[in-house]
Amino acid sequence: MRPIRGWRDALTVILFLTPALALVGLFIVWPAVWAVAQSFTNRSLTGASARHVEFVGLDNYARLLRDDDFRSSFWRTAWFVIVSAIIGQTVVGFLIAYLMAERPRWRLRFGAAFAAIFVLPLAVPETVAALAWASMANGTDDGMLNRLLATIGLGPVRWLQDYAFATVSVVNIWRGISFAMVLFAAAFAGLPQQVLEASVVDGASGWQQLRQIILPILRPQILIFLMLTTITSFGIFGLVYFLTRGGPGNETELVGIYIYNQAFRFFEIGYGSAAGVLLLLILLPLGAVYVRLMKDQA
Amino acid sequence: MSGSTEGRQPGRPRAGGRLAAYAVLGVLVIFTLLPFTWLVLAALDQRASIFVKMPEGWTLRNFVDLFGDQDGFRLIRNSLIYAGGATLLLVVTTTMAGYVLSRFNFPGRHGLMLGILLIRVIPPTATIAPLYVTATDLHLLDTYHGMILILAALEAPLVIWIMKGFFDTVPIEIEEAAWVDGASRLRATFGIVLPLAGPGVAAGGLIGFIGAWNQFLIPLVLISDQDKVPISIGLFRAWVSYTRVDWGFLAALAVVYVIPAVAFYVVARRALQASISGSLAGT
Repeated sequence: MRPIRGWRDALTVILFLTPALALVGLFIVWPAVWAVAQSFTNRSLTGASARHVEFVGLDNYARLLRDDDFRSSFWRTAWFVIVSAIIGQTVVGFLIAYLMAERPRWRLRFGAAFAAIFVLPLAVPETVAALAWASMANGTDDGMLNRLLATIGLGPVRWLQDYAFATVSVVNIWRGISFAMVLFAAAFAGLPQQVLEASVVDGASGWQQLRQIILPILRPQILIFLMLTTITSFGIFGLVYFLTRGGPGNETELVGIYIYNQAFRFFEIGYGSAAGVLLLLILLPLGAVYVRLMKDQA
Repeated sequence: MSGSTEGRQPGRPRAGGRLAAYAVLGVLVIFTLLPFTWLVLAALDQRASIFVKMPEGWTLRNFVDLFGDQDGFRLIRNSLIYAGGATLLLVVTTTMAGYVLSRFNFPGRHGLMLGILLIRVIPPTATIAPLYVTATDLHLLDTYHGMILILAALEAPLVIWIMKGFFDTVPIEIEEAAWVDGASRLRATFGIVLPLAGPGVAAGGLIGFIGAWNQFLIPLVLISDQDKVPISIGLFRAWVSYTRVDWGFLAALAVVYVIPAVAFYVVARRALQASISGSLAGT
């Protein structure tokens, strides 16, 4: 890398950066800034307030915080993140990476085959993942899960009606396992093998090795994953919307779906933007922590 | 009794441990693959339903119909236009940005890199409402070019990082040697650095393609013209209309939709991993 020398360098930098930054600025940064401005208005897509946009101050935010639907969608999302992302994806992904990682005196076969299979749920588009689960979790006798249950004399269960939240949580775990696994596997590959070897020679049990050597060393990667998956799951939309459209009732109406419904079903763009701003307010600090963690890794 | 470990080497896991590990992984493999069985079987079934069953007559008919059918063909064509267009735009713009970010140390560069990283992790749901208004103001609703621009913008932060990472792996000395030999700055860049970073640029392009190809929320909001919807929306609309669905056709469409996504993912996986978990050395 070199510093800028002369106006030709400066011009190169500006010209080369402009197209990409213009795209990002126009379609990501500007809408976010605009959202903050619009969230103080009563703008809507239809009706009188579509033409006469008025400044309403903090009304939208006050209304949001009083809105039971928003509050419950927020807590529902937090719960969804904890259950499916922080606990489910992290634990299962870590377990797989741990089992498949080569360590002194521990080596499983078929590692590449396992890895190829586990990566599928993430590699397929979210709509296909949702469609596949829609068939699996069909509530009639003939749904795959119900057929399996029937073999042990249970069911049928109406998964997407009676257990919608649990079902979409499992689907999110299913989809996110591989991302956790891939991140953790890379981290495992960087473990100092001599230290592990020494611990084995000293007679440490697998559990002691995990608790006292592996987990402390992998802490940064675990934190990075937790940040990423929290942010991603907090803003989730397609996977859940495809399966339940937020229902039944609003049992699976996560924040992302709430925003979509407000803005595009009830056409309250200002109100939906305000909800989006609140979501940003939650996610940006987490994102900043993520950036910070990545920086420390360098 | 149970405490007598003298017989075995310290710390050597019992064979039982390994067996248990395979058992756990086996269960997880079933959990992972089970949802896909319906997709594959239904796509090959002449009389498919929403339920998983052995095909009553294996057939490739559904796939043939898919490309013969006007709706199926149109969905695939639209997805190719959106993802293909966004990829082209991405490769050009992010290669330029990545090159400059890798080669020049200018004021604000570090902050810019971190800002791009931060933007990258923000999910589109947070800004979808104002993005719709922006798109309306710019007359980009229901247009091919509008979708292409917006899809490219959403993938750009990630792909800029990937491109920058690949240029970092090409030593600047190679470039400088070419200048000494009399090649112009631009020729050195395009004749020498790009070929060396070529596989990386391709990987970045593939990752951008996957992101654009898979998008659901953006076309759901921005495209209402039935002739312009991509596959993701086609799948959704079909699923919502439930009782009027040709399930074999739908499954075949999903399989066709999956193929490039998975194939490109496998090819570009390393680049993606490196950009997500890799260090930020050189920022």
